[in-house]
Amino acid sequence: MNNKGNRRSMWSLNLSTAAIALIPAAIGINYLGKLFAGLLRLPLWLDSIGTVLASILAGPVIGALAGIINNVIFGLTADPISTVYAVTSGAIGLVTGIMAYKGWVSSIKTAAITGLVVGLVAAVVSTPLNILFWGGQTGNVWGDAFFAYLINNNVPLWLASFGNSIIVDVPDKIATVLISYFIFKALPNNFKNIFRGGHEIEEL
Amino acid sequence: MGAMTLYVKQRSPVHSMDPLTKILYVIVSIAVTYILRELWAIAAMTAVTFLLLVIGKVFRKIIPVLGLSLLLIVSIIVVQGFFNPENETVLFELGFLTFYEEGMRAAALFTLRILNMIGSFGVLILTTKPDDLVESLIKRGFSPRFGYILLSVLQLIPQMSATMGKITDAQRSRGMETDGNLWVRTKAFFPLIVPVVLNSLNETRERAIALEVRGFSSKGKRTFLNVTEDYPYRHVIRGVLLAVLIGAIVWRVWT
Repeated sequence: MNNKGNRRSMWSLNLSTAAIALIPAAIGINYLGKLFAGLLRLPLWLDSIGTVLASILAGPVIGALAGIINNVIFGLTADPISTVYAVTSGAIGLVTGIMAYKGWVSSIKTAAITGLVVGLVAAVVSTPLNILFWGGQTGNVWGDAFFAYLINNNVPLWLASFGNSIIVDVPDKIATVLISYFIFKALPNNFKNIFRGGHEIEEL
Repeated sequence: MGAMTLYVKQRSPVHSMDPLTKILYVIVSIAVTYILRELWAIAAMTAVTFLLLVIGKVFRKIIPVLGLSLLLIVSIIVVQGFFNPENETVLFELGFLTFYEEGMRAAALFTLRILNMIGSFGVLILTTKPDDLVESLIKRGFSPRFGYILLSVLQLIPQMSATMGKITDAQRSRGMETDGNLWVRTKAFFPLIVPVVLNSLNETRERAIALEVRGFSSKGKRTFLNVTEDYPYRHVIRGVLLAVLIGAIVWRVWT
C-alpha cells in the first residue's frame, strides 16, 4: 500500500472493538432508515444507509460484514426472503468501502458516481439470485411490470431480470450513498477516526 | 423492553430439537426444492415443512410471515402465467385473460419453493430461542464476537425504534413537516435520520469501551454459563437429512 504509517490497509482483518460494535448500530440505522422512508411515504427503500455509513467509516471488511449480517438477522427475525439478498448487501458494503477508501465519497459528484456504481453492482449480484430463486422477479410492482413488458417483447430472461433490478436498485442506491455522504460530512471528527481499523481502544 | 424475535414459547418435539439440526434442516429442505424439478417432490418437501410447523404448534404464527411475501408470489403467478416465453397450451380463460399451462407450472414450482423456504425458516426461528441458537453456534466454534453482534442487534433495534417516536415528535414540534408533496417529505428525512445516526454512533463508542473493559477481545478460552443439553436422536436426524440431500442430487444427475 502506498500510504503506510498511521493509516492501515483497508483489508486489515484486525477489527477493533469499536468497529465490531459499529455493526449492530449500522443494522439499526438500516432498519430506521427504512421505517422513516415508509413513514414519509418516500418512493425509495433507503434500507442500506447504515451499511454504507459503516463502509465509509470503517472500510470494506466491516461494511461487507454489516451488510451480510443485516440480511441474515432480518431473515431470522422478520422476513426469511431477505436472507437470499445477504450476498447483495455484502457486495454493497464491499464496493462502498473500497470506493470511499479511494476517495470516491468526498464530494456530491463523486458520491453520486459511487451510488451509481453500487447500484449497478447490486443489480448484477441480485439478477442471478432473482432468476434462480423466483424466475427473475423481485416482488417490486414497478420492477416486475417492467420485467413483464420486456419478457413480452422477447427480451432474453437474464436481460429482462437485470433491467428489473436496475430500475429498482440504481435510484435507491444513488439516494442512499448521497444521504450517507451528507450525514458523514456532518459528523464530528472524533467520530470519523475511532472506527478505522488498527487503532486500539486506548486511543479513544 | 423485549428483544426482537419471532420465537414462540411452547413445549413440543420441534422445540426440543438441537438448534444446529434445525439449521441443517433449513439448508437441506431449501436445497432439495431447488435441486429437484419434479412438482410432486417439491410439494412433498413443503408438506413436511408445514407438518413440522404443526407439530411445533406454531403454524398460525407463520401466516403473517408468509403475508410479507404475498406480493412476490402474486407477481410470480401473474408474470409467469401470462408472459412465460414457453407458453403454448391454454389452461383456462378468465374473461380476456388467458392462463397457459407451462407458465402456471413454473409459477406453481416457484410458489411452492418460496412457501417451503419461508416455512423451513419458520421451523427454525419460531421454535428456537435466539440465545440458544447463538450459544450452540459459538459452542461449535463460531467466533463469540459474531455471537455478540447477532444478539446485540436483537436488543438494539427495539431500543432504536422506541427513540424513533421521540425524534419524530421532537422535530415536529420544531416545525418539521412530515406531510405534503414529495420534496417536503424528502427534506424531512434528514432531521429524522441524523439524530438517530449521531445517537447510535455515540452509544457505539460507549459500548466499545464497556466491552473492552469486560475483556471482549481477550484471546483466552471462553466458558459457558449453560451446560450443553443432550439432544435425543440428534445424529440419526442429521444422517437422514444428509441422505435426503445426497439422494436429491443423485436423482437430479441421473434423470
